[in-house]
Amino acid sequence: MSALVGYSTRVVPLAVLALTAGSFFVGKQSAPSARAPEASAHVKVVDLIPASLSGETNQDSEPFLAVQVANPQVMVASAFTPNPISSTGNAPVYVSEDAGNTWVLSAITPVQRMTCDITHAMSIGENHPRGDLHAGTLACAASITLDESESDDVSSSAVMNVQSSRTNVDQPFVRALAFSNVDHIYIGLNDLGQSSGRTATVDVSLDGGASYKSYSIESRKTMGQDGPSVRPAVAPDNTVYAAFFGWRKFNGSMATSDVVVVRDDTGATGSHPFQALKDPSDKLPGRLVVKRVSIPWSNAPTLGQERIGSTLSIAVDPNNSSTVYLGWADRGRKGDIYTLHVRRSTDRGLTWSKSDLPHTTISNATNIALAVANNGTAGLLYQQLSGGRWVTHVVQSRDAFATMQDTILATVPADRPVGQFLPYLGDYDYLLSVGNEFRGVFCANNTPDRANFPQGVTYQRAADFNTVTLTDGSGNPVAISIDPFYFSVPVMP
Amino acid sequence: MNSSRFFLAGVLCMSPLASEASPFAPAALPQATNNQAALIKQSSIVFVGTVSQVAATSFTGVLKSAQTIVVRVDSVLKKPQAVSLKKGDNVTVEVKDPAAFHEGTQATFYTEGWIFGSGVAVKELGHDIPPSGGTSAAAETGEKTVGQVQSEISDQDLQRLLATCDYVVIGRITDVHPWVIPKSAAPRYRTSEHSANWHEAVLQVQSVLKGAILKRNKMIVRFPESRDVAWASAPKFEPGQQGIFILKKDQVSGAPTASSGGYKGDVYTCLKPGDWLPMTAEARVRSLLKNR
Repeated sequence: MSALVGYSTRVVPLAVLALTAGSFFVGKQSAPSARAPEASAHVKVVDLIPASLSGETNQDSEPFLAVQVANPQVMVASAFTPNPISSTGNAPVYVSEDAGNTWVLSAITPVQRMTCDITHAMSIGENHPRGDLHAGTLACAASITLDESESDDVSSSAVMNVQSSRTNVDQPFVRALAFSNVDHIYIGLNDLGQSSGRTATVDVSLDGGASYKSYSIESRKTMGQDGPSVRPAVAPDNTVYAAFFGWRKFNGSMATSDVVVVRDDTGATGSHPFQALKDPSDKLPGRLVVKRVSIPWSNAPTLGQERIGSTLSIAVDPNNSSTVYLGWADRGRKGDIYTLHVRRSTDRGLTWSKSDLPHTTISNATNIALAVANNGTAGLLYQQLSGGRWVTHVVQSRDAFATMQDTILATVPADRPVGQFLPYLGDYDYLLSVGNEFRGVFCANNTPDRANFPQGVTYQRAADFNTVTLTDGSGNPVAISIDPFYFSVPVMP
Repeated sequence: MNSSRFFLAGVLCMSPLASEASPFAPAALPQATNNQAALIKQSSIVFVGTVSQVAATSFTGVLKSAQTIVVRVDSVLKKPQAVSLKKGDNVTVEVKDPAAFHEGTQATFYTEGWIFGSGVAVKELGHDIPPSGGTSAAAETGEKTVGQVQSEISDQDLQRLLATCDYVVIGRITDVHPWVIPKSAAPRYRTSEHSANWHEAVLQVQSVLKGAILKRNKMIVRFPESRDVAWASAPKFEPGQQGIFILKKDQVSGAPTASSGGYKGDVYTCLKPGDWLPMTAEARVRSLLKNR
């Protein structure tokens, strides 16, 4: 057993329940009411920074998570975490083999030192039970380079194999789907090399990443490009949706954008994929869920210390691919900096709720992430700037958010630590469903203060919750920073 | 003038060099061998330790093999600040030749970081086993030797920057303005969170330490003003900022010449941490340039 274990400080979630309870149910028209502490009894929140890196003070922002569905003990998480020992070594990911209780940092990505975007998915089409990881990474040196890569065994510590690479793209967003014995991979990205200006793109691999084809999913004229976020969602019946921001105007600080959803019913195996869903207004592929919304664009601290401009999420019911949820942010309310919205379709994207679902017009919030559990429960993760604090919520609902359970995972000071770069917390976080759990990742101020984590928290890194101090493992104080946190929340029955 | 930004730029520029700085005094110490020097340069973690288990690992998350051994740390000679490692900790070492180690073997391990979890796992780059099996003395000698060489590595890093640049100048920034992207370069510039937000700094050159003689004592330095993660470690400049600029001809922005305020000519970039240094580094830079 490692000698370092001795200085790890763990806070038992049940002990914290006596101090705080952040879950509550909301009636259809009511304010937050009855507390439901029993709902948080099984909530797990874990700071991903390992004990052996207790001295680190990086801004480990923009988290992501992949779960090996066949063996959900195995997970891979990522963030803007640099290689801890070398500026020329590979950028690392966090690997857990015990359902998120402990994590190790392993430098397996193909990018030098630190990625400037990374998402990933683990699929089960091929027989790689120790974790078949597909990743999309950006390396940012003189130019921005996308690598689409794979590891057959995430615990092996072997560097991922690059299968495809190109420059001038933004925000790769990876989803994967097992189809027979093959992995289908869908990577939404903004292909800024598209001369047509129709830059919203999905890279599709139907052979486990051995080869990729790129498909522009924008069928309309843009102002020269689409917005950065292009988000695929896959269902086991081979239905693939993708959402994107169709930028129609842009003045440098405000985009006039359609929020568009495309669909493919055969896993993009046909010759003209993503054209199954047409808008009645112009008969072109891509349903215009909302038209001409104003989305502020600021590559500077704007929402607290966070930048804003492109937050988008789409999720499909795994057992009923006709039901799909869509969330995005714009400047929807006067006086708001950034407003979240969620809508739903129950007919495969043909029609959508005409207004936001109840309780889902959320002020001054970002990093929306949606997921749907096996029993149809919708999950909504977001981070809201409220009262000078970043508050991270997971909301669940069985009735399109008419009633819901809201679990607060973290409420931390928004003004500390001072940002080292942008994004401060991330341009996204992530939520997915596994069995009867919602699992996900978010980033937050890592001050070891029980009051900041209403459901409790486990730190792997050295921390003294009595003195609210991080240490380096030898008793020396360490400055607070932004850390990635893993969480698991039971799905509502 | 924003002194805090200058301070931040200085910290960003200096931190990689500072991380290599030796805590040990180099004077009157035995010379490291060339082999040791090379190993120390390559190594991120160097420690003296005693093998406690063979074909074993010290924490979950590292695959056990015939090549993995567990070593109890006797003293730490070199490690990054972020890494928690101290006397008494158990480290998993993936060694090159397992036959060279048995329980009780004491050695200096030159390693690179491998996996970080509840403990540290490293890969061996090399090792020294003291012939007499001495313990604390071996650790002390190793510590001093590493300390001496670490200082040299720091200079080597700077030397590398100086060797690969086009100019090294001392100067002061007189103006900073956004770069207006010319039509010829416009197609490569679209809106992204990773946009560099290129700015141009007008640099009044006071002396040229490396590079051809300048016709005018003026240069244009193009730099990313963006605070995005892609550009966060690149030096940022403000009017009045003085220092040592380690410059390369612009091969990044897509338009390597500029016409600004009567200046026409090549544009230079200064993108890596360490490409700008405060004036306190002048003597060191001059010395390194002289000894090239």
